[in-house]
Amino acid sequence: MHLANRTPGIGKRKTMSSPSDAEMIGRSLDEPEAFGLIYDRHAPTVLRFLGRRVGAEVAEGLVGELFRIAFERRKTFDASRAIALPWLYGIGSNLLLKHRRGEARRLRANARMAVAGEAADRRASAAALDARLLFPRVADAIEALPDGEREALLLVAWEDLSYQDVAEALALPIGTVRSRLNRARSHLRELLEPGGKRRVRSR
Amino acid sequence: MKPVDLARKLRRDAAFEPAALDRGKAMLMAAIRQEVEPKRGPTIVPQIPYQDVSAALSFLERAFGFREIRTARLVSASGEIDHATLAFGGSLIGIGPEGHHGAISPRSGGIVSQYISVYVDDVDAHHQRAVAAGARIATGLSDYVWGDRPYEAHRTYEALDLEGHRWRFHQLLREVPRSERRGRPREN
Repeated sequence: MHLANRTPGIGKRKTMSSPSDAEMIGRSLDEPEAFGLIYDRHAPTVLRFLGRRVGAEVAEGLVGELFRIAFERRKTFDASRAIALPWLYGIGSNLLLKHRRGEARRLRANARMAVAGEAADRRASAAALDARLLFPRVADAIEALPDGEREALLLVAWEDLSYQDVAEALALPIGTVRSRLNRARSHLRELLEPGGKRRVRSR
Repeated sequence: MKPVDLARKLRRDAAFEPAALDRGKAMLMAAIRQEVEPKRGPTIVPQIPYQDVSAALSFLERAFGFREIRTARLVSASGEIDHATLAFGGSLIGIGPEGHHGAISPRSGGIVSQYISVYVDDVDAHHQRAVAAGARIATGLSDYVWGDRPYEAHRTYEALDLEGHRWRFHQLLREVPRSERRGRPREN
């Protein structure tokens, strides 16, 4: 018990903690190799993000490209932001625009998997029936969103980014992020809700 | 269900190979190395001694077209140039006061123990500029089947700088096919 009180002082704790992203990126201006640590820190998260959007194979190729671009633009990183992750998401979002077709394909496949997942749950057979109709339409509705709305929506829904993080990632004022997400929500509602603009595909 | 929650239902993680991150790291480190390596400069840098470094510096710029890398200059406490770095094409030379590192100027030693070959794009224009700046021409412009490099025909001249260092300026005229490379080259 006595030992537990001997917590390190603030100064001590500071020397033990690792440097912030902003410090590392600042250091990498003179010592470029220091940027390698940014990769070690964030590449796993960034790779998962890219994988959700375009699948493992394309994501593996993109992650190096993304960090190469980040390295080349490191002078423009806003040093007042301690964490580089939103900035990296933003570069990734831009790269993904070149992979729209693969993204759409994966989204439709995800919808089929989601349907299968619900159907496997026997206790929710009514819900499963709904899901079979619903998820493909969700996929189509997400696909139909304008790029800016879709990006904001997926960063929030899939990556659990805060509005502030999305604003940093997409280099937008937070008010714009909010209005984009509101538009995305109402677009989705219109496309999904009964009586909305939905169009049920005949099979 | 709320639209964002519905969208969340379609989130699915990709299955990665264990080494998925290695290729990306390699790509990043290659980009980093590319940026680092030019700063390390050329592999060989001739260091040339002078009695009067600042006169030599201005002559090399004026007559031969070297360009000083100003940020690399070292100045002594008394304000003299201790060392200056000059660039030409992709190469560098250093100049400094004689006596440093045991090297002396031909003006003091009376001998030239080596010469430096410089490859230029237009040797006639270079020659004209050197003459106008007061360089002494040791050997006038001439064409050679080959010179320092056995596979190239050159147009070449030799000049002496203010303190007698010998400089040989070459322009590549054409590559010499192997069949023409017979015997020792003969220079005029």
